[in-house]
Amino acid sequence: MCAMLQAGSLHLLCLTASSGVPLFSRGVSRQLPFSVIGSLNGVHMFGGGQGAVLSCCETDSGGRVVWKVFQESVMLIAVNGEQGGAVDDFQLRRLLENTWNCMVLVLGQDELVNARNVERLKRDLRSCYRLIDLFLEGAGDGMGDLTHCADCLLVPQPGPLQEALDTFTQASESEFGCLLVHGKVVVATEKWWRLAPQEVVLLSALVRTFSGSSSCDHPVFLPQGSPTVPLRLLRFQLLPGADLCVLCGPAPSLQTAESQLVARFWCPLVETLRGCLALSGRCLPGSVKLHGDVLGLLLINRESRRAVSTVTPGDTPPGRPRPARCRELLRLFYVFAATRYLGPEEAGVPGERRQGDPLEEDFTLGFSHQPLQCYLVTEECKLFGLQTPQHQLYLLMPVSVPTFALRSLATRTLSALTSSTGF
Amino acid sequence: MTSKDVHRPHDSSVCDSAKLADNSEDEGDDSDTGSTGSASSYSQSDYSDDLEPEWLDDVQKNGELFYLELSEGEEEAALAHAGALQGLPTNHVRFSDKEAEVITDGGKHKEKGKAEHKLKKLAKILRKKRPSQRRAEGSWGAGSGGQAHPPHPTSILKNQVGQRPGVVVQQRLLKEVYVYLNPKRLGSCSPPLGKGGLLEALVGLVHRPAWGKGEGGGVGQQEERLTVHGLVPSSPAIKCAQILIGDVLVAVDDVDVTSENIERVLSCIPGPMQETASCRLLYRGPLPTGLARPEGGRHPAALWGDPESRRVQRSQLVKLLWGGDAVELQMSIGHVPHIVMYLTLRLDSESSREDQEILYQYPVSEASLQLKGVRGIFLTLCDMLENVTGGQIISSSLLLSKQLVHVGYWKDGDNLLVLGLPAERVPLLHLKTVIGGVVRTLRVMYGSLDRAFCESENGPRLDHFFCLLFQQLIQPSRLSDSPGAPPPDASSTLFLDGLPAVRWLTLPPEIKVEIDTVLSDFESSDFGEMSEDFFGMRRLYVTLGSCLFYKGYLIANHLAKEDLLDVSLYCQHYCLLPLACEQRIGQLVIWREVFPQRRATPGPRAAGGLLRAPGPLLPPHRGTGRLSVCPVCPVVPPQRHFMQCVLLEAGGCAAPAVGVQGPDCVYVDQVKATLLQLEGLDGGIEERLATPPAPCLSCADWFLPAGRDAVASSPVFGRLAGAVKAPSPAGRRGLFGEAAASLRGRRPSPQRSLSDSGSEGPGDGRRDSLGSGASDGSAGSGGLFKIPRKKHPNPFYLGTLKKSLTERETEDMYNTMK
Repeated sequence: MCAMLQAGSLHLLCLTASSGVPLFSRGVSRQLPFSVIGSLNGVHMFGGGQGAVLSCCETDSGGRVVWKVFQESVMLIAVNGEQGGAVDDFQLRRLLENTWNCMVLVLGQDELVNARNVERLKRDLRSCYRLIDLFLEGAGDGMGDLTHCADCLLVPQPGPLQEALDTFTQASESEFGCLLVHGKVVVATEKWWRLAPQEVVLLSALVRTFSGSSSCDHPVFLPQGSPTVPLRLLRFQLLPGADLCVLCGPAPSLQTAESQLVARFWCPLVETLRGCLALSGRCLPGSVKLHGDVLGLLLINRESRRAVSTVTPGDTPPGRPRPARCRELLRLFYVFAATRYLGPEEAGVPGERRQGDPLEEDFTLGFSHQPLQCYLVTEECKLFGLQTPQHQLYLLMPVSVPTFALRSLATRTLSALTSSTGF
Repeated sequence: MTSKDVHRPHDSSVCDSAKLADNSEDEGDDSDTGSTGSASSYSQSDYSDDLEPEWLDDVQKNGELFYLELSEGEEEAALAHAGALQGLPTNHVRFSDKEAEVITDGGKHKEKGKAEHKLKKLAKILRKKRPSQRRAEGSWGAGSGGQAHPPHPTSILKNQVGQRPGVVVQQRLLKEVYVYLNPKRLGSCSPPLGKGGLLEALVGLVHRPAWGKGEGGGVGQQEERLTVHGLVPSSPAIKCAQILIGDVLVAVDDVDVTSENIERVLSCIPGPMQETASCRLLYRGPLPTGLARPEGGRHPAALWGDPESRRVQRSQLVKLLWGGDAVELQMSIGHVPHIVMYLTLRLDSESSREDQEILYQYPVSEASLQLKGVRGIFLTLCDMLENVTGGQIISSSLLLSKQLVHVGYWKDGDNLLVLGLPAERVPLLHLKTVIGGVVRTLRVMYGSLDRAFCESENGPRLDHFFCLLFQQLIQPSRLSDSPGAPPPDASSTLFLDGLPAVRWLTLPPEIKVEIDTVLSDFESSDFGEMSEDFFGMRRLYVTLGSCLFYKGYLIANHLAKEDLLDVSLYCQHYCLLPLACEQRIGQLVIWREVFPQRRATPGPRAAGGLLRAPGPLLPPHRGTGRLSVCPVCPVVPPQRHFMQCVLLEAGGCAAPAVGVQGPDCVYVDQVKATLLQLEGLDGGIEERLATPPAPCLSCADWFLPAGRDAVASSPVFGRLAGAVKAPSPAGRRGLFGEAAASLRGRRPSPQRSLSDSGSEGPGDGRRDSLGSGASDGSAGSGGLFKIPRKKHPNPFYLGTLKKSLTERETEDMYNTMK
């Protein structure tokens, strides 16, 4: 049978929960017919009326559908076609959450929950398409969409940058400031880090969608912090790829800030910024030496909810996966390990997560203790996951590395990373 | 290692066996079915143990047989325990001043097993037919209370107490005695049915009508009270030690008896059935004064006792297999959402019946009703997802009143099998294995899903099948022996059940060779003068192969791989492997038509198309085999852990298969003989089971301080504590023995059992020194019981810990725990 969805395609449907009017539909393949959208929604609505809330289903060829209703007003459905590789339940759920957060970020919760005019809402939602598509495509080279941790770029000497950012933010009558290089946080003010991790991820993604070199003033709602009151996000492009963001109230106009403050604080640091841009592929300072067999890694600081991920650049010897594939493998391994063994990093106390989302089946139910390490050996690569109270490290290595060496390689990499960067 | 063996509550020197049979699969009368099959030449009146196998009565119309028999020792132990339980506060009948409260936990009145029906019916008939009897009851009451009242309806107790509050004290004199009766015994020892009649021959009560004359002196002396004037030596009555001379027999089961109807009632005990094999005889209690009974308390009150209390002790698994009272077990998981449905996707738009798409559904409980209500989801998803994503739906998850429920799908042609189970019991990954296993087992049993679900006569059998399935999945602990034990380690059960393999025990070559030779001898079908060749006839069956299990481990296999998987799936679904670990089984004979999946798939041996063809009356034809499972030998008592599964082909190159064919005595006898031959080998197999694991294995938890607490609260200790908690002195031994038995039954491997018994056994000096850090472990077992010598074994020494518990050691431990 010819499937309506092409292989590996991911489709996102948005409808109003009460009436089932389609709001938008995003996806790389062609549109699903209206009848299919209607029945996908109808099945869920029917179950809801009977007290059975449908959450997901799976087909033998790896296809998957996930439903979720947000604020009892918007229904989001993610449909994954067959043979798209193993797209996990976890990934689709994160996608739905991120999509909802995008919608709130751009339009505000009130607009979505109390939409009076559906046609207008549809039009308004077009402004989120770019952001949603970014998440649908896997959020570039970051992992924040999955990990819900801010992707960071570690620089050798963050001191001057931090200082400049703090004073600049103060001068802009704000407490929330952040310097991004290619969508990764280089430095941010203390308050910025106190935003919900999803919001940091979301704001980084939003900045990536801004095109052009001009500064801009964008109203944003924070899904957790202020879902109903908009704030202003001022964005200045310092260099191509290096963006400065400030969240502020009505006070400094964009012109004032741009003309008076930006040049004053940041001109002296142009060379440092250039150095940051040069690091953007690796995300790690050059002083950090990784073992030659490390193809890629993802390091998460569980306390500060920041993450660094890197893959070795392009010129790989034959037999080793290409960088893009490395990134994909790392993402898949994160999903594998996080859902089964190590737990998503927001776990905190192990017992608490279990009451959290009833939809998430607890794989660890059979374990009497918390796993600390896990590894996976495939035909393509070997992977090792490691967890300490403060960090999680996911390591991608070629098949040639002997399995017994994985653990020592991982522990040594972790200590090298933490000691040299203080991450 | 053999603590269970040592602690067997009753020695099995009893040569007679209690015969208990499953008739759940047959709604019809047994006497009809007894005449089908190849053994039809035996008539019911030819009542001799030599000629007629015990299971013959239980052969169904379609030739299938599922016959399970407990050893008599087990049965009596269960009864003894039940008798002791009567005094417990858990008893279901309680008396207050004014009225009796019958404490039911959920519909217990209704849950009489099917086997009980006959006697129930009889009771009704008797009540209808006996107006005079009722009057007699009334007049008895009047005799003492001096007050006449109208005949009582069924609930004797309530009327009795309500109308005659004065006799409440005397009601304590009523006692309920459970006596184990086996009418078939009459056939063998056949005492003269003289003046004592069945009462004397069967129960062992001597009642001399003449002696009672003039005693009561009231109205209705036609039907005399059954005063016990004597007891027959070594009869069931004297064995139970609770019936004294001078007592009055008031009721048998729930039927009031007098001298007039006692013979009729007793003669209606329909053979060695589960429910009726042990009659509840109701006696007026003994007075301590001795033999001569004063004339007090002559009211014929009957306790409406709950039969459940008697059966608490009997293994739930055996009960389930008998199919008698699954309702209670099913009730206890009624709140857990679970369902199996067979839905058709081909909807008739004309007919507007509401649930026309449901071809089969089980169970009917509140939680499953909700799942049934949303079947539209399942149908729509199945239909739609194929179009959208191009694959068949295999599972979906939904939240049912805050509980996550996974639903597995299996599409078969135009129909859809849906299996819903709660996520906390059955994870999604396991559900896929489960539904695959269910489908395959059903195909093995019925040929195809359509045939299984669409033929209406299969309904009760499927109910039984799925009842077993849900019990195994949702409350596996209830199926094990010790009541009140904590749920067993779910993850290990899931792991073992999900393996697409049979657990195998490797044997030393000499034993292996011997077993293989014995099996090959059997498979050669050279039965001497018992075989068809001897008479120049064509053979009825071709033996395709057989496999042999010992205590749930496969020890020899002469079957093709796929056939072995079929057979083991069947055994797994009917819990035969854990069953064989317990020693309680007297005999188990299963004979049924199977459809091996190896042949169902189209291939060089193209019998497949035929097999899958739907049709209500599909005769066994080429390619169908018959599976005869005959695990144990009734004659040799000590080791009864062998189970042999034989696959026979009917209508192959041998005689054509025509119609349904019942079990063939010759083949079953030959299997029994084979097993008898193997009995001598069990020593070597036991030894092999008891050998230490080659690399020493230990539980990683023992190395961790946190893990030690987990061990302390492990099922092993919980079970032991739970077992000791039962305050009945008579039941303790049995309970303890069974706790050990269930422990054996659950073990995932011989190695594991080794460590279990190691942690359970009394610590020796070496372990004392090493395990001292764990002395606080008893907190996990409830605090009620300190097991002072409980120590964690040192994982490094496990290899040397393989000694089994001797009788003295277990006794010691038992005393300590007391």
